[in-house]
Amino acid sequence: MRFKWEVSRNFLQYSKFILPVGLVAVLATVLGVGWYTQPDRFVRGYEPVQPIPYSHALHPGTLRIPCQYCHSGAAGSRYAGIPAVEKCMNCHSVTRTDSPEIRKLAALYESGEPLQWERIHSLPDHAYFDHRPHVNAGILCQTCHGEVQTMDVVYQNMSMRMSNCLGCHRDPEYALQAGSTIVKGPEHCYACHR
Amino acid sequence: MRLPEGIDAISRRRFLSLLAASMALTAGSSCSRIDRGKIVPYTRKPARGIPGVSAFYASTFQEGLAIQGVLVRTREGRPIHLEGNPEHADSRGMLSLRATGDLLGLYDPDRLGLPVHKGVRSNWQDATKALNNVLSDARLMDKRVLLLTGASASPSLKALLYDLRLALPGLRHVAWEPAAPVAQLAAARALFGKPMISRPDLRRADVILSFQSDFLGVEPDAPVLINDFASRRGVSTPTDPMNRLWVVEGHMTLTGANADERIQARPSRMTSLAFALARLLHREHSLPLPAGLDPAELDYFDLDRVSAASSVKASTMRLLARDLVRAGQSGVVLAGAPLPMEAHAACHLLNFMLGSEKHIMDRAQPFDLAGNVELKEILEQAARGEFAVGIFWGANPAYAFPDPALWKRAINGIPETFRIGLYEDETALDCAWRLPEHHWLESWGDFESPGFIGIRQPVSGPLHNTRQAEDLLLACLRGMRIQTQSTYLEYLKARWRSGVYVPGMPVPFESFWNSALHDGGVRRDSAQQASLQLNPEPLRKALESVRAEADSGGLELVLAPAAGVHDGRYSNNGWLNELPDPVTKATWSNPLLISPADAERLGLKDEDVVTVSSGTATVDAPVLVQPGQASGVAGIALGYGRRTGNVALAIGANAYQLLKGLTGDSFVIRSARISRSNSRSAIPRTQDHHRMEGRDLARSWALAEYAKTVDGGKTHHAHTASLIPEQKFPGQKWGMAVDLSKCVGCSSCVIGCQSENNIPVVGPERVLMGREMHWIRIDRYYEGDQQSPSVRHQPMFCQQCDDAPCEIVCPVNATTHSPDGLNQMTYNRCVGTRYCSNNCPFKVRRFNFFDYTSTKKEPETLVFNPEVTVRPRGVMEKCTFCIQRIQDAKQNAKHEARQVRDGEITPACVAACPSGAIVFGDLNDPESAVSKVSKLDRHYRLLEELGIKPSVTYLADIANPVAAEDKA
Repeated sequence: MRFKWEVSRNFLQYSKFILPVGLVAVLATVLGVGWYTQPDRFVRGYEPVQPIPYSHALHPGTLRIPCQYCHSGAAGSRYAGIPAVEKCMNCHSVTRTDSPEIRKLAALYESGEPLQWERIHSLPDHAYFDHRPHVNAGILCQTCHGEVQTMDVVYQNMSMRMSNCLGCHRDPEYALQAGSTIVKGPEHCYACHR
Repeated sequence: MRLPEGIDAISRRRFLSLLAASMALTAGSSCSRIDRGKIVPYTRKPARGIPGVSAFYASTFQEGLAIQGVLVRTREGRPIHLEGNPEHADSRGMLSLRATGDLLGLYDPDRLGLPVHKGVRSNWQDATKALNNVLSDARLMDKRVLLLTGASASPSLKALLYDLRLALPGLRHVAWEPAAPVAQLAAARALFGKPMISRPDLRRADVILSFQSDFLGVEPDAPVLINDFASRRGVSTPTDPMNRLWVVEGHMTLTGANADERIQARPSRMTSLAFALARLLHREHSLPLPAGLDPAELDYFDLDRVSAASSVKASTMRLLARDLVRAGQSGVVLAGAPLPMEAHAACHLLNFMLGSEKHIMDRAQPFDLAGNVELKEILEQAARGEFAVGIFWGANPAYAFPDPALWKRAINGIPETFRIGLYEDETALDCAWRLPEHHWLESWGDFESPGFIGIRQPVSGPLHNTRQAEDLLLACLRGMRIQTQSTYLEYLKARWRSGVYVPGMPVPFESFWNSALHDGGVRRDSAQQASLQLNPEPLRKALESVRAEADSGGLELVLAPAAGVHDGRYSNNGWLNELPDPVTKATWSNPLLISPADAERLGLKDEDVVTVSSGTATVDAPVLVQPGQASGVAGIALGYGRRTGNVALAIGANAYQLLKGLTGDSFVIRSARISRSNSRSAIPRTQDHHRMEGRDLARSWALAEYAKTVDGGKTHHAHTASLIPEQKFPGQKWGMAVDLSKCVGCSSCVIGCQSENNIPVVGPERVLMGREMHWIRIDRYYEGDQQSPSVRHQPMFCQQCDDAPCEIVCPVNATTHSPDGLNQMTYNRCVGTRYCSNNCPFKVRRFNFFDYTSTKKEPETLVFNPEVTVRPRGVMEKCTFCIQRIQDAKQNAKHEARQVRDGEITPACVAACPSGAIVFGDLNDPESAVSKVSKLDRHYRLLEELGIKPSVTYLADIANPVAAEDKA
């Protein structure tokens, strides 16, 4: 009995100072960590080093190669796709064959060893984004992927959270070509989740 | 306990601060960039195929005597779903549920992945050398070689085996199937001179009489027969012609469950009943007997005598005879696979008398198949040491041959033994060399069906270090210095070039071959069949043997392959094990089915374990009281009680053993005994209650009743007032219609759905708790009295209610309504309160009580459909109408700037359904098939009085029993 009484007296003493301060500290930590780790902070600007320093600023930028020349799946598949090494070699079997990076590429092509790019854009498994309707509605790749044609090293421009999707689906005008008849994108769950 | 030096130096405060620091560091480091993995493109892209877009390949499935064309959907080179190939002239797009389910077999982690010699890993070089050596030796020394395989209808394999026989004169090839209707083949061989399976054209049949034939269930051509049968069931007006199914059977089959008139009789009485019917047709309706058969020979089968012995009423037989005569050439009689040869002969006689023989014999497919009797002889030869080499390819005699002792002696009598198979199964364990073969989805082949030669092509590269068995045989030929092709593909093509391709065709052979690959084979005019001559001699013999036979009066036991695992070849397949049996709804087990009367007499109730014995063989199995089972008749499924395989092990009992004492190739044991033991064994069933308790859920009317009623005779509930604001569906509104008259309850849709929607297998313990995950269940109800009930089947899945009760109770908005009328389930929002499931009046929502999938590793994970989320633990799920297929069709339509066409979207269940009972489409389009079907006057919606407005319409089942005035 006596022991219990002492505990609760101690507790009262604690409650005067330590408890409020502790609570505030815990709250501040939770909020601080939450704010600091908000997805946008880490997702946007993700710019990994790629195995081959392929420059989008050069190819689609300066040389004006259309996006879908390489990412040919975009109009007909859910995935835009990463070109096969073969596609690089279409040109690079004759162009810049002396560059060390192109030699690396040619060696991969010869050996059949897979070329492992670092993935930049990644959606959760339960989101079934489909490139087809977006590309076919005339939405530019840049709307989501940023000004890729200016990037020497590609980075993630949009955080690609559900709010990005819904924001545009609710008011797609800015992303569409002039004269498009589309007013809205679907907003129901099954449009993207299955 | 003393702490080590230094530990006590750390104060509590320091410990806590270290703890905090390490946690902060961990948190900090994990905040670095998320590892998103790699993207690995092709180095050289294959000529066709876009990543993310399904590619379809045609191939051919074979299981015993069944051959079906399949369309395999592949994604990035791996098969993910199987459906029927409509180009296949014989199977016409119908596919057995076991074919769909065998996709899981391709990715079975228990598959043998490399050659094994006496339990030690080996390699192909040694294996082929060993095989070559023993075969070359056998050739030189003129020794005998036993090659045991399963059934095959492959012309190229036949040619290859012929080549092999030329090279090896001592080769004895036996094709053996443990549960195939060998008696049927034997009857045809005796009567017509060639072994064949009779397949009636049920599209033309007005009256179908089945003697214990489960042609809607487990018999080889069931999918096509279901389609033919159902084509005459879906009446849209009461005057539409409808067929009538008479079933005479002892143990309750799926076919019996669908009968319009079901007669219970002991299987041993079937032959005399058939002969009595023949006599009746001849005497009272003057149908002619075939030439050479004296009517007096039938006199023993006097109606009164037979009806007294079989407890089938004479008046019923007269009714049946009258019905058959009325149908004439459109009357068809079928004998069941379990019945002995005499019964098959008797049914052929009946068909001859009716004149329907000419369209029943459409299927002139000769199979040379050995039964247990023939295999027994061969094994006795082997036991005497007559074979120097034994090659066991495919068939699994160590498990399925009824006499394990004889098998042991036989295998010990063969010095060199090779097993070619998918698994390290019972037979493999008895053989010295175990050679893994390709799964059929990794193999080449061709299969001859009436009117079509189907090609089997690999749809995936080999997953393991396996080889195609035919390639091994070719390697043996080459080892014997015989000039032949280097691969089976080359062999196949060479044979097609000379045998199938006609020189002078307007296309070169390569184009011909490629188009055959594309279509899954080539059509061939089925040679007009010469009219068959019935040889009366075997009939006379059958008559004599039936006359001589005495009714033992004992318990008769019928053995039939299981609906899921079949003859045991799919025992290691979780999908097929967990498929509820269409009649008993039992999963993961083969209970002994006994009649309610016998159960009462013996004091047995469900789940009591009994010992079944026949001769010296005994098997322990739990009892299941089966309404509608004839008294004195028990039934048990084959294919269980395997001794190998991580899934198959120790599930059910091996009923093959009971066949040990049998002298013929029938699957009926005439004097089985059952004795009760004191133990009980739970049977995992997906349905506990079998009556509708007066509610009108699965509606069924007799045709006559349907004719008399207006608007189906049932009042439709007016929509009652609702608190929920009315939903508007401006664009499409997806809906489904299920024709209960066409549905036979075969459960193909369950497996099709499971494969398409990544539905996990939960295992028998969880099924016992009611935690199975199937999105479709087939409710099966019994109406009427226990001893002879009528059976109803009703596919039940999410009804996509407009005013869905599940949606209003979800606290987190995880289940909501879509503008095209779907009740959406958003897994990522679900927190698992299960309120929705509690509020669902149809109980179609399924909850992931455990994490069933994340512990899976390759190759098991390869079976998943990448278009459907794999659900984690704690999440509710249910039928989505295959939203992935809807979305895909919508995107394709959008891409091509058009509307989605009616019939363009086929949910997996619709595609898997052989009867065409399920129709899917847009209810807002008045011209769509589903709109039209939903307006037929036998339509109704379930639990309409609740005001939930389901999007699924059911069409009442129409039965076609003999009219009451005819009975009188």
